[in-house]
Amino acid sequence: MQATEKTLNEIKAKIPYVDVKKEKLTSVVYVQKELLFNVLKAIKEDFGFKLFIDHSVVDTLEADNRFEAFYILYNVDTKERMLVKTKTEHALPSVEKLWFAAKWAERECYDMFGVNYEGHEHLVRAFMWDTYSHYPLRKDFPLGGYETVELPSLNESTFGDNLSGTMNYKRTHTYVPTLKDLEYTERNRIKKKAQVVLNWGPLHPGTHGTMWFLFDLEGERIVQTDVILGQLHRGVEKLAEHEPYQQFLVYTDRMDYISGLCSNQAWTVTVERLLGIEDMVPLKAKYIRTMMSELQRINSHLLWLGTYALDLGALTIFLYAFKEREKIMDIIEGITGARLTISYTRIGGVRMDLPQGALDVIESFVKFFPKELKDWEKILSRNRIWVKRNKEVGVLTKEDIYFYGLTGAVARGSGVFYDIRKLEPYDAYSMVDFDVPLGENGDCYDRYLVRVEEMRQSIRIIEQCLQKLKTMSPNEPFMAESGDPKKLKLTLDGIGLKVPAGEVYSSGENPRGELGFYINSKGGLKPYRVKIRPGSFYNLCVYPHLMENRYIADAVTVLASLDPVVGEVDR
Amino acid sequence: MIKKVFEKPLNFLETIFFLDFIKGMSVTIKQAFTKTITTHYPYEKLTAPKRFRGFFGHKTVNGLEPQPAFDEWAERMKVEPQPSKSRCVVCYLCKKACPVPDLFEIDGKKLENGKKVVSVFNMNLMLCTFCGLCVDACPVDCLFQSDIQETASFSRKDAILNLEKLELIGKVWQDRREQEPDRIWIDDEAREKLWRENKLNLRKVDNA
Amino acid sequence: MSIIALGIIIAVKVVVILVIILGIGAYLTLVERKVAAHIQRRPGPMVVGWHGLLQPLADGIKLLTKEDILPSSANPILYNLAIVMALVPATLVFAVVPFGPEIHIFGYDIKPILTDVNIGIILAFAFGSLAVYGVALSGWASNSKYALIGALRKAGIIISYEVVITFAALGPIMLAKSLSTYDIVMAQIHQKVWYIFLQPISFVVFVFALLAETGRVPFDIQEAEAELVTGFTVEYGGMKFGLFPLVEWYVEVLSLSSILTVLYLGGWSPLNIPFIGFVDPFFFLGAWSGFIWFIIKVSILFLLVLWLHWTLPRYRIDQITTVAWKVMLPLALFNILISAFIAPLLRG
Repeated sequence: MQATEKTLNEIKAKIPYVDVKKEKLTSVVYVQKELLFNVLKAIKEDFGFKLFIDHSVVDTLEADNRFEAFYILYNVDTKERMLVKTKTEHALPSVEKLWFAAKWAERECYDMFGVNYEGHEHLVRAFMWDTYSHYPLRKDFPLGGYETVELPSLNESTFGDNLSGTMNYKRTHTYVPTLKDLEYTERNRIKKKAQVVLNWGPLHPGTHGTMWFLFDLEGERIVQTDVILGQLHRGVEKLAEHEPYQQFLVYTDRMDYISGLCSNQAWTVTVERLLGIEDMVPLKAKYIRTMMSELQRINSHLLWLGTYALDLGALTIFLYAFKEREKIMDIIEGITGARLTISYTRIGGVRMDLPQGALDVIESFVKFFPKELKDWEKILSRNRIWVKRNKEVGVLTKEDIYFYGLTGAVARGSGVFYDIRKLEPYDAYSMVDFDVPLGENGDCYDRYLVRVEEMRQSIRIIEQCLQKLKTMSPNEPFMAESGDPKKLKLTLDGIGLKVPAGEVYSSGENPRGELGFYINSKGGLKPYRVKIRPGSFYNLCVYPHLMENRYIADAVTVLASLDPVVGEVDR
Repeated sequence: MIKKVFEKPLNFLETIFFLDFIKGMSVTIKQAFTKTITTHYPYEKLTAPKRFRGFFGHKTVNGLEPQPAFDEWAERMKVEPQPSKSRCVVCYLCKKACPVPDLFEIDGKKLENGKKVVSVFNMNLMLCTFCGLCVDACPVDCLFQSDIQETASFSRKDAILNLEKLELIGKVWQDRREQEPDRIWIDDEAREKLWRENKLNLRKVDNA
Repeated sequence: MSIIALGIIIAVKVVVILVIILGIGAYLTLVERKVAAHIQRRPGPMVVGWHGLLQPLADGIKLLTKEDILPSSANPILYNLAIVMALVPATLVFAVVPFGPEIHIFGYDIKPILTDVNIGIILAFAFGSLAVYGVALSGWASNSKYALIGALRKAGIIISYEVVITFAALGPIMLAKSLSTYDIVMAQIHQKVWYIFLQPISFVVFVFALLAETGRVPFDIQEAEAELVTGFTVEYGGMKFGLFPLVEWYVEVLSLSSILTVLYLGGWSPLNIPFIGFVDPFFFLGAWSGFIWFIIKVSILFLLVLWLHWTLPRYRIDQITTVAWKVMLPLALFNILISAFIAPLLRG
């Protein structure tokens, strides 16, 4: 929930030179750019807003102070969220000493907007290659980029491919990086500390996608790690400024492509909160969304377990996990029509009701799955090799969680109770009963146990949703009806949906962490700025810290237990 | 609300007699003597469910259109319905609903009696995300998604659907699968291999 | 017997060993793939031949017809020598393995063992140690960081586990009072007991050392796909690449399993009830039943190795060497101490 009036008044009393304001959906503290560092330090240490959620910049094309920067912070004890805003023309002070996660966020803002951060240790671009000369998310940069290179081979008529108009490729193209650019990027990294540098990636079967790690090795020990990202950057935030709200749903499930429905749900809930129609969504739609989202959570955790065991050598668990995953994808295919990129939720409900037989199939799956899970735990959980590989590896303390902005199962493995489904409930999560597993030591073994237990709790939630859905008749609505179609037009296809001016930050509990959306809207059909807060990006920023003085073999274990997906890291 | 997770460590007897290995090995050897679950593609294939989102098609005018919506829209857009041809009323709603509007190319031509009929309907499926928003937008239940999924080809031309291809897909679909009930899937042998161990018995349902 | 007859017998033995071992080695790839597939609930190779029986032929033809590459900065002599150094010692172990009892053909008494030297066991372990050269040379000659790391890891493991395997094998040698492989089997038959019943600790240590020497899970850290993408063989292609797993995973497992049956499971002797006698369902075959029992025992050991491979995760490199020097070696020495007390109690 938003920070209360009481907290805001306390802040105003203690730090008189800031402005505080409680809007409908956010609580904001405005501060001048020169005093930013001290104010953030005071808010972090004196008022307990220790968990760093996000930081980014909005390009308002105002004359004096063009960029408006915001920081989102969270207080885990009192469950309050706050925005801290400031304005600048060119530069901002860097807050990397307060939170390490801000280091990566600031690199991204430098890359996308060109804002200079004073005091940043290593300010290079986060996603684009280092010799790139534009700042893509500024408002004067066109959507398609500057198309300067001609690629004639795309237009040759082979096989009689003389297609007309938009049915063919364009002749000109944007500049594509060459090997020279990539070599320059690699040379521009942190100064190396050892003689041998091992390139792990960008194309490697062990990294979970196209991530590029550079290890400085001494023998088998890793002295320093550097991460180069951006191989899968698709510019989703730029696309969001040119798409209506319902049509942007299609891009959300291509970010975290393994658990697409959870991302869809997070986006839909955010827009519904901005519109103020959260209570108008019918009960049936809420239960269907919750049930499908929990099925996707099991799906995603099964993929994690399969690849984790595969990376560590137990090759059969991979195929057992994929057998159960196949069943879940059959269920989702029968209900929605697609297996991977689902786009099932709509603003106001879901696309279609459940078909006949869906509840029977889900019930038989739910009865069989816990037995399978118990069998696999016999192979892994108390196996001495597994325990030896995972215990005391990659230990994260509670202070690390706040300092690096970690969320999801990574935070819960270290004992921090941070689950968005309990702290800021959405859909039907406040109406079902489930436990949140917490670990103790914060090593890879605890994170493994936490995720396996989460699968069992998801089964519990699905059973309760099934019981409720069986009592509902097939004629109940699955999509909200708008009382006044002239003011608010809610249809299945989303044409003509106008959203009032305002801003909101809302998040959902993805299996990989907290996926948050910050929408800044100036009224109209399309948003003005969308910032996606990806869980995997901030979960990955603790990786160099965890890999100091460890063996290469631990690189795989730690990376698999953090569970990143490159589609979400790079967006 | 909070559940602490932990596992007991191995005691001495379990360590020297390798009981943790033996328990794991008993699970794998039991699985080795059960039946296999895979589908041997392309010799065996699964039937796609009714709601599958594959290639697109246009349903044709055959008397089963949604009334009174079809008559109202044909009246409003001044379109002449032609039997056994596409139901499209050239309303451009699918193009407005698409996240990538450039993939549609729609045009109508005037007939002698002053009414219109659709003449050009190209869909560039290389840009399509198969989300189904256009299908939701169509007011006369004309544009739909069939279960065609094996679509690999050697040239870009085969990824462009024009009006003849759409009508053909629609006609074949209406003969083949339109009358199926809205059930989660069709039972066939290949799917039975995977779900047999769940002991699933789906009731046969009639037309809803 | 005359020189010519001796020459013919030796030549026949050599040809039989080479053909059978290398031929079986190729078909063991199919056995592994089928067993692994059924553990994973899928059928395995089914297309080539009936249920995949011609799959090894297809794999062999594919590997042989690939381009013969040489990385531009690699050392060509060492690059090619490494394969020879890997294949030859692993096959040479079969020179001292007795496959069955003495048989009489055409009036000659033939022992089905290529050379019955009186230091057979030492020769077997010596050839096993030569396997280090194949690994180290290939890792160095490939001129690639991944290959070097994989080769160093594997060399470290082989050296540690050579010591362990030798000390573990000392137990049965003390009980049999001889180093020749043929005599160890005859000693087990005369004493009417398989040494596995008298030396369980040393059997377990030997099995772990077998898994480590041949590079199977839980000790296959050098070809851990997630980190090193096939380790020291990463710069090889075609049949040169296919030869490394063939030698490591199949021929060496067969050879070390044969040594294991000779030392602990009584070689070619039939089922044993300790200290009482033998039970032989194949008695009607006469002396040839020994060959069948040998094959059965080696097959069961091979299937056990496969079963372990597809179930367990793998250790880290420092944990492997820790286990070798801090756990396995003291156990082997403890076992020698116990055997010293048991050995005088057994008669000749």
